Amino acid sequence: MVAMVSFHTGYFLTAVTGAAVFAIATVLSSYGVKRLIDDVILPSFEVGNVGFSTWASVSSLVVVIGLVRAVGVVVRRSYAGRANSSTAKTIADITLSHLMRQPPSWHRARMTGDIAARAGVDTDAAATILGPMPFASSVVVLLTVSGVWLIVTDLWLGLFAFLVFPVMLATNILYQRRVDYHYQVAQDELGALSEAAHESFDGVLVVKAFGAEERETERLAVISRRLRKARTNAITLRSTFESVIDAAPSLVNFAIIAFGAMRVRDGAMSVGELSAFVFLFTLVSLPLRIVSYLFSELPHSASGWARVKQVIDEPLQRSPRDLIRRCEHSMVELAHVSAAHVEGQLALRDVSLTVPRGRTVAIVGATGSGKTTLLHLIAGLIAPRSGSLGLGTRRVGLVFQEAFLFAESLRYNLTLGADVSEARIASALRIAAADGFVSELGVSLDTELGERGVSLSGGQRQRLALARALAVGSELLLLDDTTSALDPATEAAVLNNLRSLGAEITTLVVASRPSTIALADEVVFLVDGAVAAAGSHEELLRTNADYRELISAFEHDRQMPETVGGQ
Amino acid sequence: MLADDITQEVRRRGAVDTIRQGMVEAPALGRGLGLTFVLALLGAAGRVTIPIAIQQAIDKGFVAGTVRLDFIVRLCCVCAVIVLIAAWCQRTAVYRLGTAAEEGLYGLRVRLFDHIHRLSLADQNEERRGALVARVTSDIETLTMFFAWGGLAWMLDLSLMFVVACVMIAYDWLLAVVAFAVVAPLIIVLRLVQRRLVRAYDRVREGNATMLSAVSETVAGVETLQAYDAVEPALDRMRATTKSRAKASIRAGFIGALLFPSGEVFSVFTVVAVVGIGVWRGEAAGLTAGSLVGFMFLTYRFLEPIAEFTEVIDQTQTAVAGLRRVLSILDTPIGPPPATNPVPLPAGRLGVALHDVTFAYAPRDDEPAANVLSSLTLTIPPGQHVALVGESGAGKTTIARLVARLADPTKGRITIGAVNLKHVANDDLRKRLTVVPQEPFLFADTIAYNLRFAKPGATDDELHESVRLLELEDWIAGLPDGLDTEVGQRGQSLAAGERQMVALLRASLVNPDVLILDEATSSVDALTEVRLARALRKLSAGRTTISIAHRLSTAARADRVIVLADGKVVEDGSHEVLMNNAGEYKRMYDAWLAATKA
Repeated sequence: MVAMVSFHTGYFLTAVTGAAVFAIATVLSSYGVKRLIDDVILPSFEVGNVGFSTWASVSSLVVVIGLVRAVGVVVRRSYAGRANSSTAKTIADITLSHLMRQPPSWHRARMTGDIAARAGVDTDAAATILGPMPFASSVVVLLTVSGVWLIVTDLWLGLFAFLVFPVMLATNILYQRRVDYHYQVAQDELGALSEAAHESFDGVLVVKAFGAEERETERLAVISRRLRKARTNAITLRSTFESVIDAAPSLVNFAIIAFGAMRVRDGAMSVGELSAFVFLFTLVSLPLRIVSYLFSELPHSASGWARVKQVIDEPLQRSPRDLIRRCEHSMVELAHVSAAHVEGQLALRDVSLTVPRGRTVAIVGATGSGKTTLLHLIAGLIAPRSGSLGLGTRRVGLVFQEAFLFAESLRYNLTLGADVSEARIASALRIAAADGFVSELGVSLDTELGERGVSLSGGQRQRLALARALAVGSELLLLDDTTSALDPATEAAVLNNLRSLGAEITTLVVASRPSTIALADEVVFLVDGAVAAAGSHEELLRTNADYRELISAFEHDRQMPETVGGQ
Repeated sequence: MLADDITQEVRRRGAVDTIRQGMVEAPALGRGLGLTFVLALLGAAGRVTIPIAIQQAIDKGFVAGTVRLDFIVRLCCVCAVIVLIAAWCQRTAVYRLGTAAEEGLYGLRVRLFDHIHRLSLADQNEERRGALVARVTSDIETLTMFFAWGGLAWMLDLSLMFVVACVMIAYDWLLAVVAFAVVAPLIIVLRLVQRRLVRAYDRVREGNATMLSAVSETVAGVETLQAYDAVEPALDRMRATTKSRAKASIRAGFIGALLFPSGEVFSVFTVVAVVGIGVWRGEAAGLTAGSLVGFMFLTYRFLEPIAEFTEVIDQTQTAVAGLRRVLSILDTPIGPPPATNPVPLPAGRLGVALHDVTFAYAPRDDEPAANVLSSLTLTIPPGQHVALVGESGAGKTTIARLVARLADPTKGRITIGAVNLKHVANDDLRKRLTVVPQEPFLFADTIAYNLRFAKPGATDDELHESVRLLELEDWIAGLPDGLDTEVGQRGQSLAAGERQMVALLRASLVNPDVLILDEATSSVDALTEVRLARALRKLSAGRTTISIAHRLSTAARADRVIVLADGKVVEDGSHEVLMNNAGEYKRMYDAWLAATKA
């Protein structure tokens, strides 16, 4: 936790200084009250008139102390906020830049939501402790200085008050623990409610289809009742505690007045001093509440920081891309490559494959035969278990099954921030057959795409993802069932455009539509992670019975294309 | 976009209207509020005992150099008792406000659940789902937070200020006027700065939302970014969002920090002014030393709550905005209205008919309402198996939704068993008609739970009977826990084909007379395909069935094929007849063959 302070020490120390000024001025303000009573009010009523100058000098003292105290508060609060916000930013930046450098294998072993939470809400939670910390430090100063002040003013009364502080502080902390338990329960129930509501609203069609509206409302109401129960428990505890903690200083103050009256009678202190005593005690008992908040924030902040630390302390894993050899004569060269996602279960076994520059190769196989794994291996997303992999370029463009678009401008989605000329973007859009709908939709390069590009259809998103791969200058294109969301005519057009680029582009395409497969120069047929046959489509149809069977299954199983008859 | 409509609607309602409306929707919030406030006032009385005790002690306890100890002790005892009683009042007030709020918000939440479940499907699209969840969770939470902190602070602090002001006036009305006059500028300052503060907090929230969504997007897109060596530029963009958020919150923090001690600063000036004038007027005006000291203490107390106000302003604004969004959902009219005088469906097999049906989705800002179906008439006799085909947007899904009464036609009427759908009770309809959606939704529980969703209280025997009926015993037997197998979130632990099977079993439990099938498009392995086809055949046997066909093989198997284009029937007949017609259907079939044959 100390590390948190070290990110922006200057801000933090300024806040602590402000807090100290505030604490000392608070104690001094009770001195001002004493002077007002002893030097101005009492003499004026007992002796008669007090000179204007006496009033003016005591008043300016009171005002100056008040202003100094206010300045202390402003400095403390604004710099505590500055330390908090700046630290949250710094930690978020560090966390993000670290985890974005971890290879895909690292990311795949984790939930995206969890990683995002660590860089987002967790860094926030970690830094929140910096807000109340300077204030807590001022309470320490306040208690020490006022304790000394009280004891110096009157030894016995001071000792009495001094003993009350720790008792009150302990009560506060004890209460906070108990009430936090109920709030934690409430928080958990809220999480459960949110999950159940999500599910219930997502399943709206089923709910309506079976007339289950009332049952579902009742299911959610049950969780809401548990939430209400936890909250009501917290309120019961809170209402009692807060009344006690509000009443306690008053009760102690009455004891001080009664006890102090004896001291005044004995001539040990003045009436002004007694009043100042009461005044100071009230001022000091107020911040004790805030200290207990700090204690309740601590575990929250500490767990946030622990989750952040877990990510940033983890050494960067070696990227599978570093294992890829540079090869001169061909574009892709796999020699006896095996790969696995799960230990002991090979997804690819002993695959050897050579693809010359400029070729279009279709990868064909049943579900689970290792087609996607093969592409991810070549793209450097996963590392081979054995064997070697060489590529003729570092410019590899993998287009995923699910196109990932950013909620950014079209230009950003095509270039990902790289410097790409307009002409090149235009030609990429044309090759990917995306120029048509882009101009039809009236989309310019600076148009923002919706959250993850939802305003586009699946086929349109796919074509943009392909255009991106081309715009950034990929020489090796890996298409993972990318074009299947397109109608056959568009798909054929795209593949023909790619072929027309000649040696500029080498394409590996996972395909299941017979018409697509027929467009490839060569077909690699995978069965259970191994290459069962390779050659031209016609050749395989002729020579391989399994291949023939798979293709005819594809023919039968195809759904009706959505856009047939549309154009 | 509908979401935008709602934001505009939201802005139209003022804060006072919103709160009044909120009280109407959640009556428990306002119940007994008067007594709660009286208790809060009594509770605040406890907090003025110290100034009064000091005044009494100085005026009557320390007279002419002597100390009347017995008086002071008695005074302190009396005050202590008052403080204890006041503490009890305050406790009760806090408890009452808190429980009333929880009660009211619970009721509001349940009303929301109920209302959302009854919203028309048109108001329930994918994009709005997250927003709906936010309404029942985070928006209601802003209200909970408000009642737990801000609302409580308003109640206790206003009570305190009111009681203190009363005591001040009772001591000396002229001094009280002086004190209020010195404080007056503070109100103006607060009003001026408060607006800036609210705007600054708005910006913090925006910055926060932008940053969090940028973070999750960047993390989600990590493979794409790495594949294209675009991590560095993406990080630069990220840093810009974290920076602008930090700037916004530093600014809001600074304005808050400036406001926070304003009460204290003003109380210092008020105190010196009050003391000066009090001393100047002196005993002649009926003032005593004690009352002046007491007055001084009261002045400090009077402005104590200002610091807290500056902290709860933002929370209050957020809560009103949250309430507004919640109310806007309750204002959205619910989907097909329930039948007022339901007509029972006749026994026996049911036919379905559409008479001159037109349907258009509600118009949105920029797009005019376009007819999805126009004057469509269609009669399906009992027991017939009909396949609807046509390109996307032709109106297949809309017909299915209208027949299932998930929406009502804009014009025309639909009958089932010769009864107008609008006159059929929902319960009655759901027992006789069932929909199997394209992407069946499963709840994160066991298969048995998901089956019983269709028929609560179905016995194990009934479930097994359904399994037998659809000949899926071997599949269920192959699962780790049979019918008690957990399906995972949204059924993700099962394969797409298996989710389909659960959906078919679920439909068969209802034993409906009319079945609406939206065929799945996801490809499944050969064995599953065989099982599904068999189960489907068993399920639809003898029932009036409307299939939205995505595969021409499905259409070919149906008794009758209806080809739709632009919301109209363009062809109607058996597969064989339509193939001989050489029309739209034949054209689609040929195109399909050409695409799938190499």
